[in-house]
Amino acid sequence: MSGPWSEEAEEDASSLAGTTDVELIKRAWRNEKAAPEILQFEGPLVLRVREQIQLLEETVEESTENVSNDLVVSLYQMDLDRTLFLLRSYLRIRLQKIEKYMIHISKTNLWNRLSEQEKKFTKRCTEIMEKLLEQSVLARLPYGYESFLKQSISSEEDDMVPEPQLDTFVFCKAKDAVGAFQLDDSGDEIVDLVADDLYVIRYKSIKGLVEAGQIDLV
Amino acid sequence: MYGKRASQLLKDQACCENGQFTPFNSDLFDQVISECNEHSLQLQSLIRKIEEQNLDMQTTRNEDHFGAVIHHLSLVRNKRCLMAYMYNRAEIIRGLRWKVGPVLPQEIQEKLNYSEEEYFKNHSAAIEAYMSEMDLDLTVDMVPPKDPYIRVRVLDDIGEVCLDDHSISLAKHSLHFLRRTDAEPFISQGLMEEFLE
Repeated sequence: MSGPWSEEAEEDASSLAGTTDVELIKRAWRNEKAAPEILQFEGPLVLRVREQIQLLEETVEESTENVSNDLVVSLYQMDLDRTLFLLRSYLRIRLQKIEKYMIHISKTNLWNRLSEQEKKFTKRCTEIMEKLLEQSVLARLPYGYESFLKQSISSEEDDMVPEPQLDTFVFCKAKDAVGAFQLDDSGDEIVDLVADDLYVIRYKSIKGLVEAGQIDLV
Repeated sequence: MYGKRASQLLKDQACCENGQFTPFNSDLFDQVISECNEHSLQLQSLIRKIEEQNLDMQTTRNEDHFGAVIHHLSLVRNKRCLMAYMYNRAEIIRGLRWKVGPVLPQEIQEKLNYSEEEYFKNHSAAIEAYMSEMDLDLTVDMVPPKDPYIRVRVLDDIGEVCLDDHSISLAKHSLHFLRRTDAEPFISQGLMEEFLE
């Protein structure tokens, strides 16, 4: 999914800004924050970031014990805090999206974008939600109207499931030029996506580019 | 008028949105439920009437048919309103878990009905299960950190607390210089505030 974290990259992280794991998680976090639907879970990246956090924590601890250079310690600490914030916020935004669209997610192939832990969380959330609505509303309604997913027995499909609004507008920016891109199926609207230009487009139209990592949301 | 009560239920809720939470309106809620059952009875009696006249259910388009349609649609609309009422409240309740923490203050607790209290507890437990599986507390660090340390004022007698490897005494009105992550839980519970000069 993401760039390789080789040893040389580690040595020369500053010149490769944009490919460090912290940069990558920042990007994943931004995309997740701006996208109306849940995106693919960045499993390996999250693991690597957690390892780095652990390393940083050890460094901070060592420097606190050995050196009395408070400035260095507080710089490390700040770096650590920022990375931790990104990670926590990333996971939190995902959980909050799950809370909002749990049923929609479990019914569609969005399900495959979740981590194992998130899947468990989704199942549990749905059960709890169902129990609440069952107890307070559904069990007290007449026969034919007590479904959790359908308005009534005569609905042909599930018509009571909240779904994310995919045609909402998002701000986005391409790292490299994408070129002429068709915004709708009819082919009437074509946009030339130039690198580093800022666009406001319906999420639905550029969904594929976001998923492929060709364009970033801001 | 059919559906009036249900829309009233949602209007009350919409009026004081913005995080404000109204007490569960069980009177109005129960009235809408009984309205639903009333619709169902009417609907069934109309259907029986059509059947007794030996008319075809699918093609009959007489006054009884349209009456039945009205009752059906009113019932469905009431159901949507009831579900939306509960669902929106559940959304606010979930938000409280992130903003306030696992224990709700008395004045909010009083506004929940029994099922909602259960819901809050269960949902809280689900989030905690996820966090312990990930071995990461997601309820701290709600805002991007500026400085790792902040100055705080203690608003209530908290007493002796162990932070990291040393313990400090958090007496009312005292000022401290703490790690942001240590102070955040206290701030969200209203026991401390950030001290700004």
